[in-house]
Amino acid sequence: MRLRSALLAAAALVLGGCVAMVRMGPGTVTVRDAISVSSDGGWNRLDVPGGGGEVWTSDGLSLDVLTFFVGIKDGEPLAPAPMGSRRVPPAFRAAMLPHQIVELYEASATQDGSTFRLERLAPGAFAGAEGFRFDFSMTRKRDDVALRGIAWGAVVKGKLYLIAFRAPRLHYYAKHLPRAEATARSALIRP
Amino acid sequence: MIAPRRRRIVIGCGCLALGALAPGAAASGAWHPPARFARPHEASEEGGLWGMFDREEARLKRSAFLVRDPALNDYVTRLACRLAGEHCADLRVYLVRTPHFNASMAPNGMMQVWSGLLLRAANEAQLAAVLGHEIGHFLARHSLERLRDVKSRAAFANFLSIFFAAARAGNVGQFAQLGVLASLFAFTREQEREADRIGLELMTRHGYAPGEATAIWSQLLDEIKGDAVTYEEYAGRSVLFATHPPIEERQKLLEEAAREIGRPEATNLGADSYRAALARHRTEFFADELRRRRYGETLVLLERMRKAAADDGALEFFRGEVYRMRGEGDDLEQALNAYRHAAALHGAPPELFRSEGLVLRQLDQEAQSRTAFRRYLELKPTAEDAELIRTYLPRE
Repeated sequence: MRLRSALLAAAALVLGGCVAMVRMGPGTVTVRDAISVSSDGGWNRLDVPGGGGEVWTSDGLSLDVLTFFVGIKDGEPLAPAPMGSRRVPPAFRAAMLPHQIVELYEASATQDGSTFRLERLAPGAFAGAEGFRFDFSMTRKRDDVALRGIAWGAVVKGKLYLIAFRAPRLHYYAKHLPRAEATARSALIRP
Repeated sequence: MIAPRRRRIVIGCGCLALGALAPGAAASGAWHPPARFARPHEASEEGGLWGMFDREEARLKRSAFLVRDPALNDYVTRLACRLAGEHCADLRVYLVRTPHFNASMAPNGMMQVWSGLLLRAANEAQLAAVLGHEIGHFLARHSLERLRDVKSRAAFANFLSIFFAAARAGNVGQFAQLGVLASLFAFTREQEREADRIGLELMTRHGYAPGEATAIWSQLLDEIKGDAVTYEEYAGRSVLFATHPPIEERQKLLEEAAREIGRPEATNLGADSYRAALARHRTEFFADELRRRRYGETLVLLERMRKAAADDGALEFFRGEVYRMRGEGDDLEQALNAYRHAAALHGAPPELFRSEGLVLRQLDQEAQSRTAFRRYLELKPTAEDAELIRTYLPRE
């Protein structure tokens, strides 16, 4: 197993060199220069190269993820195509209806083969605009873990603003949901 | 061997290993299935291989991705058992919800059949061709041959564990990166053609029309041609097909082998029984298929299915969904046509009217979109998106 250990060590070095973790807040934090939100100080931002939206977590990526797709312009994808894929990822369009934005998020969230089920889609104010929210459930392909999620979104002046929270159905969703909701409620679009 | 072939399917096209048939790989009439295999001693190299697949199977048994419907499991298991004969006792079939064209059989008897294959096979004879091929690998103990070919067993175990990890992660990029390594452990062309030959033997012995073994590859090739990127990967001989001959060559050799085998009495297709067995799962499998976003391939698949069932409203609805989601050129008009056609047929779901409403709203046909949304809410008043849809309707 010496080879395996060497591979793991190499992977750790590579990843260790690339992923920066920054504690967010407490207080007002700017995300991607597009919105400001209030953080309770328990969130950490992960800077993953090649990733899509800005990613925050409290207990770790497998346990809770708050993703910000904010200031997305017409024609931009939520996330780049996976490494090695020649396919063009689906892009946001300013005229998209909430149903289509859910499908856009679904496409990004299920690239790894996970399942996705929309549980509820309803209107809702977000970032000072008339927006929408949706609840969903997923089964993560990697480890078969059942996830729950919720997202808040709006299209303002042709740009998409979407915050999505997802976590294992067992324990972690309920643990962090109020904090995720508070963060989303505090969102303000930067002028 | 599962993992390398998974990799090939995931990055582009189904290939239950694109092998070629060699004359005499298992000469007609001369081939007899071997006696049942005893479980190898755990200290032996074969025992070690079984152990690895046993662990993978234990994981698979708990997977939320298994299709657990007893009726469908029973149907596929019965078919596999008929083909496998006395080896049925050593065979365990798992239906896995993954929208790609693949099946595999491990040396310990674990057989996986992916939902993308179940959706694509047109009839029982085509499924029998694929399952027969996989049983062929099992009966010829190809995994063990491959294991012995690999010089270092430690390195093999290492690579295999990486494949399994990558398969679980399901990351396309990882698969592409592992491509070169994976090809080391894929079955050889000789093994593929032997498995093809055994598969043909098994299916025709049970009366299934051998032409369907060729037809399933023709269908797949048509789908590949429907998607520019997939076809580019195929025609460009990327890592995807580096170790295997093209589908066209395989088709030709399969036809020759079918002629050699003869058996003109083998004409059974089992189209109706197959459609009936799959009926309950088709909507779910199509939802997964749409998530692949390979619209060109899916449209070819749907066109083929419509030819076999022209009065099926659900198929027309799915066709509309493909156009709506792609949304290029005149796709929205095409979607509307499909939805309206579907509404006049049997079997379209209520979501048809929601989709029609969404398309009409995108086309600024407000009054008509409201009619469609109202119809949707009448049929599904507690729909998950009813609250949002109601905001599109004036207060009454």
